[in-house]
Amino acid sequence: MSYGIQRGIRFQILSEEDLDRIHWGTLHILEKVGVQVDSPTCRKLLKENGCEIDEKARSAKIPSHLVEEAIRKKKSTITLAARNPKYDARLDLNHSHMCANGNGAVAVDFETGARRNSTKKDLIDSTTLCDALPNVHVHWPMVSSTDMPPSVVHLHDLEASLNHTEKHVMYETGVTLADAKNLTAMGYAAAGGEKEYRRRPITSCLQCTYAPLQHDAGVMDASLEFARSGVPLVFFCMPQPGATGPATMVGSVVVGNAEVLSALVMTQLSTPGAAVIYGLGIAPLDMRTTVRAGGSPEHAICSAMGTEMAHYYGMPSCVGVSGTAKEPGIQAAIETYTGCVGPLLAGADLMCGIGLLEDSSCLHLEQVVIDDEIVGAIARLIRGEWACDDTMALDVIEKVGIGKNYLAQKHTMQYLKTDHFMPTLIDRRSEDNWSKTGKKSMKDTAREKVKKILAEHKVPALPDDVNKQLVAIIENSRKDLWGGESKVQ
Amino acid sequence: MEEIVTRLKNAVINYEMETIADLAKQIVDQGVDPLVAIEQGLAEGIKTVGERFGKGEIFLPELVMGAEAMKAALAVLEPAVPAGQHRATLGKVVIGTVQDDIHEIGKNLVSTMLSSNGFEVVDLGVNVPAADFLKKAGELKPNILAMSALMTTTMPRMGEIIAPLKKENPSVKTIVGGAPVTDVYAKEIGSDGYSGDASGAVDSAKKLVG
Repeated sequence: MSYGIQRGIRFQILSEEDLDRIHWGTLHILEKVGVQVDSPTCRKLLKENGCEIDEKARSAKIPSHLVEEAIRKKKSTITLAARNPKYDARLDLNHSHMCANGNGAVAVDFETGARRNSTKKDLIDSTTLCDALPNVHVHWPMVSSTDMPPSVVHLHDLEASLNHTEKHVMYETGVTLADAKNLTAMGYAAAGGEKEYRRRPITSCLQCTYAPLQHDAGVMDASLEFARSGVPLVFFCMPQPGATGPATMVGSVVVGNAEVLSALVMTQLSTPGAAVIYGLGIAPLDMRTTVRAGGSPEHAICSAMGTEMAHYYGMPSCVGVSGTAKEPGIQAAIETYTGCVGPLLAGADLMCGIGLLEDSSCLHLEQVVIDDEIVGAIARLIRGEWACDDTMALDVIEKVGIGKNYLAQKHTMQYLKTDHFMPTLIDRRSEDNWSKTGKKSMKDTAREKVKKILAEHKVPALPDDVNKQLVAIIENSRKDLWGGESKVQ
Repeated sequence: MEEIVTRLKNAVINYEMETIADLAKQIVDQGVDPLVAIEQGLAEGIKTVGERFGKGEIFLPELVMGAEAMKAALAVLEPAVPAGQHRATLGKVVIGTVQDDIHEIGKNLVSTMLSSNGFEVVDLGVNVPAADFLKKAGELKPNILAMSALMTTTMPRMGEIIAPLKKENPSVKTIVGGAPVTDVYAKEIGSDGYSGDASGAVDSAKKLVG
C-alpha cells in the first residue's frame, strides 16, 4: 500500500477561468508593483536577469517571462524522503500527507497541566508521538527547545527530531545563511553524507514570505543556500485578509501567489530545477480580537485555493490548518475538522498544522492524538468510491439472498479492513458500557493513548558516530550574543 | 469655540480621515488653543473609539481609521502649539520589532492602541538591532521600551536588550510581546511588563507609568 492518504474525491472552488485570472493578475502585480527584496545578493541576481530594481526601496519588478521560465523549471514530484524509506512522502499531486504543526513556544505540561515555556523534553515526547501516529506522515518539530541556549535552539530541535522519528523532518528555522549551513550539515550527517542526502533528502525547510509582498534578507539568502545544497524548500505565504492582504480571500491569494512565485523565480534563477513546494496559509485577522482566525472556514477555503493554484502550476502544495482553541475539546475539534476537510477535499499534497492550539502556539499532547483521529476520518471521507465487481458484490448479494445478513461472509471481513474507518478515540459503545467504565471524555481517552504510546513506542536513535557529528555542529554554532551591529548613524 | 472642538472629536469618532485636516486648519485659523483642540477634541474622540473597540462594538479597521484621523489632525495642530507648551501624555514609549524579524502588524497595533490611550509613541520599525534599541533608549529617555518578536528564533533577542538596558538606563521600563512570548518567558528575561495582545499592552503600560 502506498504511504499517505489516497484521494478519490475532489471538489473544486476556482474554475479554470478563475485560475487564469489569478495567474494573470499576479503577473500584473509582480510587473507593476513588484516585491521588496531585502537581500542584496538576490537583488543582484534579479537585476542581472532583467528585473527593474529600486535600490533605495529595495524593490524588484519582475517581468512575466521570468515567472513563466521559473514555472517551467519547477519540479512536479518531490519526494520528502525519510530515515526509514517506508515513510517516504511522495508529493506527486495524487496523494495527501499530513504534518503536525511546528515551532510553538509554549506547552501545557502533560503531568501538571501547567502552561509553560516548551522544552526539549516536550519536543522529544511530541516527536515520538508523531512517529507512532498513522495519520501524521511528515514531521515538523512541534515546539522549540526553549530550555537550550538561545543561539542553538533550532539545532537542538533538529537533533531531537532526527533521533526520535524515522519520518521526514521539515523545519522552518533556516532564517539566516549560517542557520542554513548548520541545518544542512546536520541533514547530511544524519543521511550518511551529502551524496546520500541529495539522493534522498530526509529534511526540508519551510520558508515564510512576508506579507504583503516582502522577502526577508536572511530567509532568501538561506533559501538559495538550501537550494544549492539539495534541501527541498517550501515557500509559505501568509497574508491575513483584511490586515496584510485584501479582505477578500481571492485578493489575498493574489498577494500570496505573488510572494511564492517571486521566491520561486529567485530560487530557480540561482539553482535551476530546485525542489520547491508551493506553500500557502492564509487566515483572516479576527477584527474583534486581533488574533489570526486559524481553523476558520476562510482558512480552509484559502488552503483549498492555494492547492488549486499550486496544481495549476504543476507544483505540489503545502497548506495550513490551525486552531484558536485554548484547550482540547469541542472548539479545537471543530477548528481542526473545518480547517482540514476543505483543503484535503481540494487535493492538498501536504497539510501542516494539527496538534497545536492557540493558533500554532501551544502544545497539548492529547490534541495531537485527537487530531490524528480527525485526519483518519477525513482520509476515509476523501478516499473515493467506485463501482466494480468487488464493490458491487452482486455475487454476495445473490448468495445471501432475501432477508438474511452479511455477517458471516468472507467479503465482509475482507472489506471491513479497507472500507470501514475504525476509530481509536471515538467511543461508539452503548451508554451503559460507557457509564460502567467511568464516563470517559475523549480527552481522557486521548490521555491514555498518549501515555501508552510514550511508554511503549521505541524509535531507533541515529548511530553514535552521527550523533557525535550533530553535537559538534551544535557546539561550534553556539554564540553568547548575536543581536547585531547598530544601523543608526 | 466649544462647538468646533466637539466637531473635531466627532470627526475622529466618525473616522473622517480625508476631511479632518481641513477642520483642524479651521480651528487654527479661528485662533482656538491647539492644546485644547488636541486634549478635548482628538484625545476624547480616540478614547471613545478605543472604548468601543474594547467592548467589541466596533472592529479593528474602525479603530485604525480613528487613529489615522487623529494623526492627520495632529499633523496640523501640533506645529501650531506655542513653543514651550506640551500636550499632556501618559508617557513616552519607544517601540520596535527585534533584529531579523520583520513581522510588524502586531507591533503597529500596539502603537495604535498606545497612542489612542494617550501615550507618545516613537516607532523604530522592524528588524531593529539590539544596539539601536539601547541607543534610542539613551537618547529619548522614554518611560517604556517596548519590543516584539513573532518567531521563536528571534524571541531571545529581547532578553539581550533588556540585560544591558537595565545597567545603562535602569529607569526605563520594558514591555515584551509577540505570538511565542508568554508571561513566564517575559519574567525569565527580566522584562517589567508583558502582554499577549494590543489592549493588554495598554493596561501593562499604564501600570508601569502609574
